[in-house]
Amino acid sequence: MNFWINFWSFFFFASLAIFAVLAVVVTIGGFYNIRSLFKSLTNRADQNDDQS
Amino acid sequence: MDLSAIGIETNFSNLDWCIVIGYLLVIVAVGVYIKRYISNVTDFMVAGRGLKTFLGVATMIGTELGLVTVMYSSQKGFTGLFAAFHIAFASAIVSLVVGLTGFIVVPLRRMKVMTIPEFYEKRFGRGVRILGGTILTFSGILNMGMFLKAGSIFVMGITGMTSEYELKIIMSVLLGMVLLYTTLGGMVSVVVLDYIQFVVLSFSLLVTSVFAIRYLGWGNIIDTVSQLKGEAGFNPFDAKGFGTSYVIWMFFLGLVNCAIWQTAVIRACSAESIKIVKRLYTFASVGWLIRFLLPCFFGISAFVFIAQHPTLKNVFLPEGSVADSQVTLMAMPVFLSQILPFGLIGIVSAGMLAAFMSTHDSYLLCWSSVLTQDVVAPWFKNGLSSNVRLLLTRIFIVAIGIFILVWGLWYDLGQDLWDYMAISGAIYFSGAIALLVFGIYWKRASKVGAYLALICGFGAFIGLKPVQNILGIDVSSEIVGLTVIACAITSMVFGSLIFPDRNRPSGQKE
Repeated sequence: MNFWINFWSFFFFASLAIFAVLAVVVTIGGFYNIRSLFKSLTNRADQNDDQS
Repeated sequence: MDLSAIGIETNFSNLDWCIVIGYLLVIVAVGVYIKRYISNVTDFMVAGRGLKTFLGVATMIGTELGLVTVMYSSQKGFTGLFAAFHIAFASAIVSLVVGLTGFIVVPLRRMKVMTIPEFYEKRFGRGVRILGGTILTFSGILNMGMFLKAGSIFVMGITGMTSEYELKIIMSVLLGMVLLYTTLGGMVSVVVLDYIQFVVLSFSLLVTSVFAIRYLGWGNIIDTVSQLKGEAGFNPFDAKGFGTSYVIWMFFLGLVNCAIWQTAVIRACSAESIKIVKRLYTFASVGWLIRFLLPCFFGISAFVFIAQHPTLKNVFLPEGSVADSQVTLMAMPVFLSQILPFGLIGIVSAGMLAAFMSTHDSYLLCWSSVLTQDVVAPWFKNGLSSNVRLLLTRIFIVAIGIFILVWGLWYDLGQDLWDYMAISGAIYFSGAIALLVFGIYWKRASKVGAYLALICGFGAFIGLKPVQNILGIDVSSEIVGLTVIACAITSMVFGSLIFPDRNRPSGQKE
């Protein structure tokens, strides 16, 4: 049983740390991705208007 | 359940109600505002295929880390304790392998399909698409049927609300808000709101984990589980707990969740490039891990808290019997309502309710898109115009919303929520595994094999408890699931060998 206690303890805290880093990185990176998505959708809408 | 009658009061205050209502109103306003960016059906369904890595990761985690996920994972933690961590482990490992190899998802993105049944048509023909699309939506909508009930139980547990009537009004209003912005803004609204919800929920989960550890103490948690459950509380292979067949079943579910379940695959289909698909799955493996791990930990913490609280122990852990599934579902929210201070409990609840909405929006959009694209549109030889498809999708979104409102109110769960989710999903994915894996990687996979696999997969509905009660049988969900998958794969192989295709459908990969 000690093996599983140690394994899950390590697994839990390592995952928590990795997720904390990922949450910060994705929050910042996602913000820039949204700006870029809106730019590309606006450009496409403008092109559609020009074609019609 | 009225806990105030036994002297248990929640920390949820009027300030917390203000935080929740304010946050939800902002979310809906943003969702509706985004309608201006939608100019055609591709923008509506797959955000113009413009998703980049970080937004893709946020939206994938935002969708899959819904309130219902938090609820069923915490229930698994409450009933299975640390041994239930193997579900998170299996999920993360499988997603990482899919990310590194591109297994299934890269060929799908390369074919530029919007839905999995669209792949069925390219590979096996139109009939398979219609049957596959019908089974997929049936399974998906059934799977979604318990979302509202899980959300209601969370609200009751954390706020201490006891009026069923008021609760139904609140849940209906929440669903109405989701329907409003999803019908107007489509996938663009969904990804932006998923991003906001990812941010709020991620930080809520992290802070709550720290609170739970500080409140109970890590050593106390380990000792209590050891004393009360022994080996079965930690070892997933222990026969008194989950057992080997359940662990194998979880690895299958890990693959299904990330590479076969339509709501996840649609993110791969929405990605800007194949390189981003692989990167997205690699990063998202952490999300797949966390979506089970942290809520599961809250369930374990709830178990320890309740085990040391005589009044609550009589309700949630009665001597000599097992508490009802709906009671164990409420353990985690009741635990949070006791340990989180006012203000923070409002932020966490807002995050959870936002998660409730983020899952609903993606699932509503997903199943309505499949109904439009794969069940209705193939019947029209000249196809349907973009405007008609948009209108149909919006009508289906509202119709599914009404269905889940009714289903969530009367269906008797009778089993752990996670097992219900797994088995209702298996109605679709048992057949889909065979069609996708063999359709992509085996040239000889034929139309007859595909039909047989889909029909076999449908047999998974036997795993639902009410169905078993009618049939007078009692078979565990993992045994039903694994047996049905084996039958579907066997049917695909033998059906293809005995009845090979004469003329292979156009667009098929050689």
